[in-house]
Amino acid sequence: MTHADPHNQPQKRPRRTPLAARGEPMVWLTGACLSVCLLMIAGLLAAVLVQGSVTFWQPRIHQFTVADGSVVMGVPVREEAYDAVGEELAAIHAARDAGALPDGSLHADGRPIRRLYRVGNREVYGEPFRWVSLYTIQNFETPARATLLERREWGVWVGMPQSVVREDLRPAPAEGEAFEAEGFATIEGEGGARRVERAVVQTPDGPRLRERVFIAEGPDAALSALQRLLPQALERWRRIHHLNQAAIGEINHELERERLRHREVELRHAEGRVTDAALGASLARRDARLAELREEYRHVEAEVAEIDREDARWRFVIVEPTHGRFAPVRQTEPDEFMRLSQIVRAVPANDLDLAGRLGVYFSRWGEFLGGQPREANTAGGVFPVIFCTVLLTILLSIVVVPLGVIAALYLREYAKQGLIVSAVRVAVNNLAGVPSIVYGVFGLGFFCYTLGRYIDAGPTVVWPKSNWLLGVVGLLVLTAGAVVAGFLARPVPGQPVARRARILAWSGGLLWLGAVALLVALFARSPFFHGFYRARLPSPTFGAKGLLWSALTLALLTLPVVIVATEEAISAVPRTLREGSYGCGASKWQTIQRIVLPRAAPGIMTGAILAMARGAGEVAPLMLVGAVKLAPELPFSSRFPFIHVERSFMHLGFHIYDVGFQSPDSEASRPLAWTTTLLLIVIIAVLNLTAISLRARLRRRFVTGAF
Amino acid sequence: MAVTRSTIKPMTTHSAPTPSVPPQGASVETGLESLAATGVQFTVIDAIRNNRPFTPAVHETILEQDAIVEVKDFSLHYGPSKALHNISMPVPRGKVTALIGPSGCGKSTLLRSVNRLNDLIDSVRVTGEILLEKSPVYAPNVDVIELRKHTGMVFQKSNPFPMSIFENVVYPLRIDGEKRKSVLKDACERALRGSALWEEVKDRLNESGLSLSGGQQQRLCIARAIAAEPEVLLMDEPCSALDPIATLRIEELINEISKRFTVLIVTHNMQQAARVSDYTAFMYLGRLVEYGPTAEIFQNPRLPETEQYVTGRFG
Repeated sequence: MTHADPHNQPQKRPRRTPLAARGEPMVWLTGACLSVCLLMIAGLLAAVLVQGSVTFWQPRIHQFTVADGSVVMGVPVREEAYDAVGEELAAIHAARDAGALPDGSLHADGRPIRRLYRVGNREVYGEPFRWVSLYTIQNFETPARATLLERREWGVWVGMPQSVVREDLRPAPAEGEAFEAEGFATIEGEGGARRVERAVVQTPDGPRLRERVFIAEGPDAALSALQRLLPQALERWRRIHHLNQAAIGEINHELERERLRHREVELRHAEGRVTDAALGASLARRDARLAELREEYRHVEAEVAEIDREDARWRFVIVEPTHGRFAPVRQTEPDEFMRLSQIVRAVPANDLDLAGRLGVYFSRWGEFLGGQPREANTAGGVFPVIFCTVLLTILLSIVVVPLGVIAALYLREYAKQGLIVSAVRVAVNNLAGVPSIVYGVFGLGFFCYTLGRYIDAGPTVVWPKSNWLLGVVGLLVLTAGAVVAGFLARPVPGQPVARRARILAWSGGLLWLGAVALLVALFARSPFFHGFYRARLPSPTFGAKGLLWSALTLALLTLPVVIVATEEAISAVPRTLREGSYGCGASKWQTIQRIVLPRAAPGIMTGAILAMARGAGEVAPLMLVGAVKLAPELPFSSRFPFIHVERSFMHLGFHIYDVGFQSPDSEASRPLAWTTTLLLIVIIAVLNLTAISLRARLRRRFVTGAF
Repeated sequence: MAVTRSTIKPMTTHSAPTPSVPPQGASVETGLESLAATGVQFTVIDAIRNNRPFTPAVHETILEQDAIVEVKDFSLHYGPSKALHNISMPVPRGKVTALIGPSGCGKSTLLRSVNRLNDLIDSVRVTGEILLEKSPVYAPNVDVIELRKHTGMVFQKSNPFPMSIFENVVYPLRIDGEKRKSVLKDACERALRGSALWEEVKDRLNESGLSLSGGQQQRLCIARAIAAEPEVLLMDEPCSALDPIATLRIEELINEISKRFTVLIVTHNMQQAARVSDYTAFMYLGRLVEYGPTAEIFQNPRLPETEQYVTGRFG
């Protein structure tokens, strides 16, 4: 046997360390996983950044003729290849074979390309967007003076400006009396003669002679006149808007307050707490005040009407190319030119140089950040939305941080670490995993419908007064008993816990529970409380969606985050520091206040940051407890108390959902959804960065020097 | 005595920090085995091992001294395990008393029993009593906060609070509700001079206490401990985390301080005990073994166990 038993042979060691043993693959694996995560995050941010920032960039306006011979003018939005079928496909093939297809109208795979154009002019076309196949385009040009009008209503208008008109209504000529239908007139301050058109028109006040003076004619003159006259028109619009909002709002508010005051007197009268005479006096006072306010209202109305008459004189004529129709003042009056004040911004896109484009771009950003939403949130600004979001986040932080920190302090510092505390800790951790919509349902059911209704109308079921007072006595007894039991059950350090003390401690705890339950019952069944807003019923004040309830719901949602972070921060405070403080004779609270909390502050800040970030981005519960598409009255005003926490509000997260998915014009609102997303990300990043820099400043105080 | 303290230079540079309640395990057993090899009779250690009663060797000169702290038949349990066994020892007023012994012998526990810092641990049970200025420390009506104000404490690892040097020093006065700026300033300067730190930090009292070096931090902690003018200063291995030079400075400081305060110091380092203390107590497995003037303990101990320990043959 030349071959020895293989088991006796010395094992041949591999020459090289196996790959698996060296651990290189794990480096690759972990690195690859991190790269995937980073790519996804970076991709998301890049998409939001790019899409969100191009929204307000104005491309050129194209004009061309399509297959049916009609002229189209519009702003390109995007392109895609599509599957042509049937006759269209045959036509494309025929044209291609004949070499009649323009370059670039077919995709590399042979499919035709179409381009989406924003054509606007909804009153005329019905659809403000239109797909155009590139191979059908003929006579392509980017005409000078082509203008895109952003209007306050009905979306954009794309067309060629024609003239600026001043319209006057004069008394109608007598029946049969002749008047000059066309002519020329010299207008003061305008220089030179202007064409004038006259016609008899029917108005709500009877027939009138309408005189149209064409102040500027031709695209160039019309545009420059527009630029000159637009600021005045905007000022008039602002004035009317202000009067309608502020002055009439103020009067309405006063009316409502007077009505509520009298209603409260009526309710008290029904309960027998107010005499008949007082009721009569109240009624007289109300009527006098109402008359006063109505007079005031008429004044404001007259003022508005006067400005509106002046506003109605200034018109703009801009013609779309397909049917040659001008932009009407409203869809039901197609023969009336639009008013100047209906224009938010006129963009002669093809005449703008880079500076002009940038001006338009930043002007749009300015409107977006500082303005009110228009057109069912598909245009205009989001200022109230930003404000409400920040306000909500601040409110929720004010609620959640103290609550969470104090709860965590008890859990970590005072509570005896045992089964019950562990159970509480596990429960708190689990709360963080409950779907947020559940918190929304809870908030709606408890805060809005129970607590809010209680604040509005008082308890629905009440105890008789004698029983209720007995309950108050019982509460005092329970509380005193709990305090005494707790005092007697204090543990003596160094001595074993006596059976008696244990029983006392338990009964003290139960007494506390009972006292709190009785306190809640006393509130819920009080015969002395009738609600703060019963005069306003049946319309709810606090008993509906509102900012306060949203803040509380989100606080509840983010409470586990704060508790867990605070507990960790507290337990990370070194024991030597606590012992040093105790050794100096500090009590427990002094140690917590002077040593533990300052030292744990950066960790607590981390928890607060996480809570804020989570709260600011949360949408689902807000749909139930507070956020609305368009808040009629925002939760802030110039009227005391300035922040109205009972009102519903708008929220950026919900706004994204609304703009992106609930919009009547999804093509128009799509870019805005991106921009709003970008804005939300920026706001959360700013909030976080502020908190992080605050934390870093705190942390710097605890950096150890040498050693 | 003073000669002994100053002539011996520090030998051990650094002794490993010891936990205050280590498990009584292998190292103790090894110590006993090496003892057995010497062939000497160790009656006390035998008694301790077999849990038999014995009388610790307490030198009579100590009993003649005026005691500021008196430990009387004091036992302490951590839950089911007994950490201190019927310890009786007086601590003489105005002197430095060192507690020595191998890890886990209960010296730190005894020290922390004096200011009731062990109360922070839920499972601690005590019997017997400790008297501070003739009044019992463990009586039910004792104000623990007041007690701790009378007993300053310095810990193994320096623990300056995350605040300015000034605030660190006046912390005991602050929590006492002292608000007068002049009083605080005076106390701060006195304490910092007392801990030989004043010259180094007088120009930067508003800087963080954490910006100091390790030895300075420990002296800051000593300043804090003496700021409230305590009756007894408890020191729990104050030099175990310091380098030799910082250790030397602290030891010199202890000599200075002992002129004004009674010092009870736990040390793991026998040279240090020999250098700084007037009296030394040798503890073993939660019992007091021998207690006497430092010179006698180190040069002429009554028990062979003590001799073996101080000459480094076990422990």
